[in-house]
Order: sequence, then structure tokens, then C-alpha cells
Amino acid sequence: MTPTTQNRELISALADGQLAGVDLSTALKLCESDEQALARWSAYHLIGDVLRSPGLAPQASDAAFLMRLRARLAQEPVLAVVSDMTGLAQGATVTVPERQAANDARFTWKLVAGFASLAAVIAVAWSAGSGLLSPSTAPQLARSEAPLQQVLVMSERGPVVRDARLQELLAEHKQFGGLSALQMPSGFLRNATFDSSQGERR
Amino acid sequence: MSADIPSSEPASASHSDAMLVERTVAGDQKAFELLVIKYQRRIQRLIGRMVRDVDLVEDIAQETFIRAYRALAQFRGEAQFYTWLYRIAVNTAKKALMDLKRNPTVSENSFKSDDDDETSPLENELTSSETPEAVLASKEIAQMVNAAMDALPEELRQAITLREIEGLSYEEIAEAMNCPIGTVRSRIFRAREAISEKIKPLLENQSGKRW
Repeated sequence: MTPTTQNRELISALADGQLAGVDLSTALKLCESDEQALARWSAYHLIGDVLRSPGLAPQASDAAFLMRLRARLAQEPVLAVVSDMTGLAQGATVTVPERQAANDARFTWKLVAGFASLAAVIAVAWSAGSGLLSPSTAPQLARSEAPLQQVLVMSERGPVVRDARLQELLAEHKQFGGLSALQMPSGFLRNATFDSSQGERR
Repeated sequence: MSADIPSSEPASASHSDAMLVERTVAGDQKAFELLVIKYQRRIQRLIGRMVRDVDLVEDIAQETFIRAYRALAQFRGEAQFYTWLYRIAVNTAKKALMDLKRNPTVSENSFKSDDDDETSPLENELTSSETPEAVLASKEIAQMVNAAMDALPEELRQAITLREIEGLSYEEIAEAMNCPIGTVRSRIFRAREAISEKIKPLLENQSGKRW
């Protein structure tokens, strides 16, 4: 069935990423269920490709390529099962969630390096204000010993290395977070100065 | 303007791709097919710059899209989809070439010579799988598109030029042409329809299908 003029215009706008809501879901349904609508989608993109580069004119094997790929895709597992696609069908705004990328291991090392730098800065700052710390704490900072426990934790931002010793030091440091501004302990300002991480304290 | 090297696309096109990626990850394989149709030619042309054998180009292109499909859950969405797909295609082609070099039974004609200019247009090379008729048909379609463009009314030609060649968004085109966005959308659609009608017979002859 030849798509109506209105539907063809929807497909044209879809090709330009200009649809949302009901129009979006309508256009997607058309392209996914109607071969002639799919042919329009293909033609509109073909026109753009050829206008930008004549070398992208269609080859005789274009249709066969898609057929062959469809057969291979049919053998692939569906990426996810969604029991209710109503939200997607109605074109609800969906933000692309952050997912673990294949190269996240590199970011892990960057995070580790970042923590090491932070620990060094804290150590320097602490030694500068060592009069505020209990004698039992300062020597611990001066010692370089292996952490008691390091845990790789998955967070929203990717894998994060959690060091129990570092967490303790950071937690204690927060107690004096407002000192530099008020020249006095200001625990009541703790949450305003640093991110609250009550759940992570041991 | 090269269509192979990833360039910055207007936000609307990236949004379109992100939306199709999202639907694919949610389980809609048809959404992925729309992406395949959109980028199939560019990916094949890109691979064709590295590999001479047309059949091998298609195999590598197939593998590229399958790999992209499998890795879609890892697509962070920070880069544009085509940029990400481009890298997969290059890596897949390189891997295929390395595998072939280890296989003494494969003809050396499958490879591009290192002396070849990677920027030489694919259409200037005739491979064993491309007949003169196929090349001619492809050129005819390209010529018909350009002829149809020249025959368009000025406002339609301007709208589709700003969209397809200059890469402007509807909002930017509306500002440039001093007209509502709805008018922009209508003009681009009518331009595409006019060109589609001209090339439709050629496409049908090429594919053997009517649409």
C-alpha cells in the first residue's frame, strides 16, 4: 500500500530527525511495517547521499545487502526484552542511559590515578594542618602501607575503585571541611561543603 | 564534501540516530534496519577504499553492522552514531585484511595496494563484480538526481540544498529562508518527492522491485 502524502511527509521529517510524540511513533511504525514506506526512507537518504557525493549512488546489490543482513540479524539475540513499549511507541522522551563502554577499563585507570592524586593532595594538606589532627591519625597518613581493602564498585559513572582507608580519611577530613572558611569547626556545613556520602561511611 | 569522513551533523540528525539506537537496544530490530539503510552506502564506500574485492567489501560491511548491533548496548551516546560506526568499519576491515594476509589461498587482488591513494573515488575503479551496465546505471541515477534538482522550483531547491548539502537544521533553514518551520518541512518533502519520482523508474530497473 502506497503511504499517503501525509505519511510520506512524516517519513521525510523522520529522516531529518524532526519528529516527536505521536508523529514519531507513527512514522516508525510505518517504516517498520510497510515495505513501500521503507522504500521511501531509503530513497530520501539516497537522494541526500547522491547530492553530497555522486559516488554514493545506489548499487544493484543494495537491496540484496539488506536482505542478507536481515537474515543474519534474525539469528542474533534480541538486545533487550521490554514488556511494555507504550512509552516508546508514544514517542516518550528517552534519555540514552550511560552504559559501560568497551573501553571503560581505561577509565578505571584514570580514576585510580585521580584518587592517587587526591590522596597526595590530602596528605599534603593534612600535614600542613597537622595540629588539628589526633596524633594517632597523622602517623597513619605518613605511613605508606598497602590499603586494607580495595573494591571495584560499579557506579553510574562506571567502575570506581573504593579504598577503605581512603574513604575513612575522606570522611574524617569532611569534619573539618568548613574550617578554612570559618576558622572553626563547622560540622553543620558539612553537607553544603561536600557531597553527602552517608551510605559509604564505614 | 566527502560523505565518508565523519563530520559534525546537525543536532536533529544525531537525535534521529540516537532515537533509533535507543529503540534497537529496547528490542526493536527494525529500528536498526533503518540505520543500516541510512548508512549502508557510506560504510561500503569507506571499506571500498581499503579493500578492492567488491564481494569482500560487502562481507566486511555486513560484519560491521552485525558488530555494531551486538555492541549497541555499549554505545555511550557521547559520540555521534556514524562516528562510532565508522570506527567499527575501519577496525573490521583492518582485521579482515590481516586475517587474509595470513591466508595464502586468498588472491592478492583483494587488497588495495599501499601505493593506492585512499582518497581516490570508488567509482573510478572497475572490479570483477561490477559490470559496465551496473556502473552506467549507477551514474544515470546520480545524473537524474542532479537533473531533478535543477528542475525544482527555487524555494524547494534551496530548502533541500540547505538541508542535505549544507546540513542545516529545520530551524536554521527557517531562519535563512525567513519562513515557518512547517513550510521548511513541506518544501523539503516536496523536493524529495519530485526527485524520487524521477529516479523511481531507474531504481526499479536496478532492483527489479516496484515501490
